[in-house]
Amino acid sequence: MDRRDFLRKSAMSAAVLAASRGSEAAEASKTAVDPAVLARSGAGVTWNKAPCRFCGTGCHVQVGTHNGRVVAVAGDRLAPVNQGLLCVKGYHVGLALYGKDRLTRPLLRKDGVLVPITWERAIAVASERIAADPKGFAFYGSGQWTIPEGYAAQKLMKAGLGSNHIDANARLCMSSAVTGFLATYGVDEPAGCYDDLDVCDVLIMWGNNPAEMHPVLFSRVVDRRSRGDKITLVDIATRTTRTTGFCDHQLLFRPHTDLAIANGVMNLLLERGAYDKEFVAKHCAFRADSAPATLQGQAISIDEFRRQLALYTPDHVEKLSGVPAAQIRLLADLFGSPKLRITSLWCMGMNQHTAGTAMNTLVHGLHLLSGHFGRPGDAPTSLTGQPSACGTVREVGTLAHGLPGGLVIANEKHRKEAEEIWHVPAGRIAAQAGHHTIEMWKRFSTPKERGGDISTIWVQVTNPGQSLPNRHALVDPSRKLPGKFLIVSDVYPTATTAIADLVLPSALWVEKNGMVGNSERRTQQWFKMVQPPGEARDDCWQTIAVARSLHDKGVPGLKDKDGKFLFAIERDGKELPIWDWKHYYDVNVDEHLFEEYRAFTRFKHKDLAPYREYVRARGLRWPVVQQKDGSWRETRFRFTKFDDPYVRSDGRVDFYHSPTEDGRAQIWFRPYAPPPEVPDKDFPFWLCTGRVLEHWHTGSLTMRIPQLAAAMPQAYVEVHPNDARVLGVNNGDMVVIESRRGRVTLPAWLDGRGAPVVGSVFVPFFDERVLINNVTLDAYDPFSKQPDYKKCAVRLHKAGANRLPT
Amino acid sequence: MLVSALVLTVEDGDLARLLTHLSADPRLELGSLVGRRLPVVAEVPDARSGEQLVEELQGLAGVSFVDVVLVDFSMANTQEAI
Repeated sequence: MDRRDFLRKSAMSAAVLAASRGSEAAEASKTAVDPAVLARSGAGVTWNKAPCRFCGTGCHVQVGTHNGRVVAVAGDRLAPVNQGLLCVKGYHVGLALYGKDRLTRPLLRKDGVLVPITWERAIAVASERIAADPKGFAFYGSGQWTIPEGYAAQKLMKAGLGSNHIDANARLCMSSAVTGFLATYGVDEPAGCYDDLDVCDVLIMWGNNPAEMHPVLFSRVVDRRSRGDKITLVDIATRTTRTTGFCDHQLLFRPHTDLAIANGVMNLLLERGAYDKEFVAKHCAFRADSAPATLQGQAISIDEFRRQLALYTPDHVEKLSGVPAAQIRLLADLFGSPKLRITSLWCMGMNQHTAGTAMNTLVHGLHLLSGHFGRPGDAPTSLTGQPSACGTVREVGTLAHGLPGGLVIANEKHRKEAEEIWHVPAGRIAAQAGHHTIEMWKRFSTPKERGGDISTIWVQVTNPGQSLPNRHALVDPSRKLPGKFLIVSDVYPTATTAIADLVLPSALWVEKNGMVGNSERRTQQWFKMVQPPGEARDDCWQTIAVARSLHDKGVPGLKDKDGKFLFAIERDGKELPIWDWKHYYDVNVDEHLFEEYRAFTRFKHKDLAPYREYVRARGLRWPVVQQKDGSWRETRFRFTKFDDPYVRSDGRVDFYHSPTEDGRAQIWFRPYAPPPEVPDKDFPFWLCTGRVLEHWHTGSLTMRIPQLAAAMPQAYVEVHPNDARVLGVNNGDMVVIESRRGRVTLPAWLDGRGAPVVGSVFVPFFDERVLINNVTLDAYDPFSKQPDYKKCAVRLHKAGANRLPT
Repeated sequence: MLVSALVLTVEDGDLARLLTHLSADPRLELGSLVGRRLPVVAEVPDARSGEQLVEELQGLAGVSFVDVVLVDFSMANTQEAI
């Protein structure tokens, strides 16, 4: 058999196995051959498991390596998440390592130019900056941080420097989901899981486009239809997307009025008596905003709830939202049907919203009020866009107000618990929350004498120069201010490294050990498989090396109560020099950090298993609880009597972290109020920004993959044909988009992949040559501090043409 | 040369016609239908052609979804693939 035949046979085996998944699989599976087994037998390729590097779905891939390079990627058929499938980004993930312009040496800006320096010098420069002003130092991380990377950064800041100025880019994508869960259940993250997609009768997507953004998950639903399952898909959106094409119903609403829709449906459920009276009486309470507004709000009665909702009649909702009253009634019919199993999905559309917390609580409230909760297929489930937005940011708590395991800075008892686990003196953790993302960057871009108390920011695994809103205000001023210093760790040149003072080259994905946590509470692990290029090194090592340099300088806080280095790992009573790159892999640093972190996870019943369990598994969903026989059992459906070991009562569910400490979840009344900026005479269009199938976030990885770059080479603006006609714009014409904050020029796409409604346009944000975030608004949700990238007011005109009267 | 494993989810309708069309395509090797899922091996000269092929298959009448299961780029031209 020659290599070509071998590859073809491997590929056919993989395809047959994937095609055979599910109930029809038995016969085909018996005859199919595992491609990895085939590969091992003849091609010299070594296969190992790893989660995909891209989105928050958490697909597992088999990574084939040969002669020190990744040479093949296959969907992992043993992985419950993707059952052998991958999306277009996933199957190209191996190529993300091999862009021609990988950063391979540390770079320091001298006379305006980045010049190569040694790692010793780079670590010294970083630690000198921090040592000079520890309280003016901020760490800005990511939902792409691995769990140990985020944990190390968190520990350096909060246990070491006694500073809470650490935040992560997940603030920009899912913090309203966090506050929504907290306000409703008293604890973060979804109760349901992806299994819901396999059994639900109705799937409602709230401002969500999984056909492009989470295609493997969406494929599970499409696959059910192909097997004859009846499943009703509902798209609630402000524009038509690839997802819409698969849906039975589309509710097209005016931006921001999703609150009115949810209120309208709840109002109908009450009016009809079609809510789940028994479930509500046993397991729910009602709340509304307090004055001043807090995440806890104030208790109200069901009668008060009913009275406030009464305004939201179908006709009034139609007037506000543009959604026909008949469609509001249809949604109420679905939620009012106890026999149906209903799953709601959402992602950025609901989270990047100045009323994101409110909207999140309303969707939870709808499920609770109607009793569509706590049975397989009945679940409100938020999705995440990054591989470890949940695992690292939400669970490790790398946010300005958070501590690991769901503990919070504001709670004195929580701080004490953390200080004990970290073995640092009482009072080490500052009692005041740090600066959230927008505030952190605003202060970095403000002179010190005017309150700009952040002097140095270290960015790891993210690209704020492209992804922050209103970049002109939040980022650019800092680059002209004396005394402001920007450190960036990354794998490729980006819009952020371009303006950095110090650039640190990082290892990527299977060039290092890692652990991540996906959208369904699944924690995943992988081992390093290939060496990083040149002098690129792990982000976690970078953090520990800087911490050691600070320790050696005598900076307070880098030692624990016994005088040991904060990140000390000992073997036979001797400390291992893990801050020295030559010795970093003498021990599994990930395992040590993870085992320490695990101690935090029991406080809020987010229990994680020992590291070794994740080595064996394709991820485990927390809480993972040890059984009498010593085995570790994951939990699919949280708060449910039939699956969650922490449920105390005999009822169907138990919300054991209830904000009211009585086992009840909260159903909120949240009135609709207009957004902070709406189109007007001067800026008559809505602008919505987002992602596309081929590119992931700011495109720093996917634009290096020729196949993906070729498939979607540049950003564009989707314009409705009617608007294009008025503007005199044809397909491909260059168009200027302008807001009160900035402007960009890019080509128009009419009748493209997505279809905006008249009076609105859509621009993806992956293209660093077109910084659409010069245009977007930095207004944010009052609770989550998450900005709204989905709506602001802009005007358009054809480039080169006079601006048309508006 | 680039080898990929695909799974096509096919719809009710003129399945024979679709299979005839696919069988005639020299880039494709078809497996046996498993329910409504068709395992397919695709061999194309370069990655861009592979991308176009997936788009083309997705656009065929009778094909409701194309899943990509595996791609082996170990025999792809290095300059083109990387």
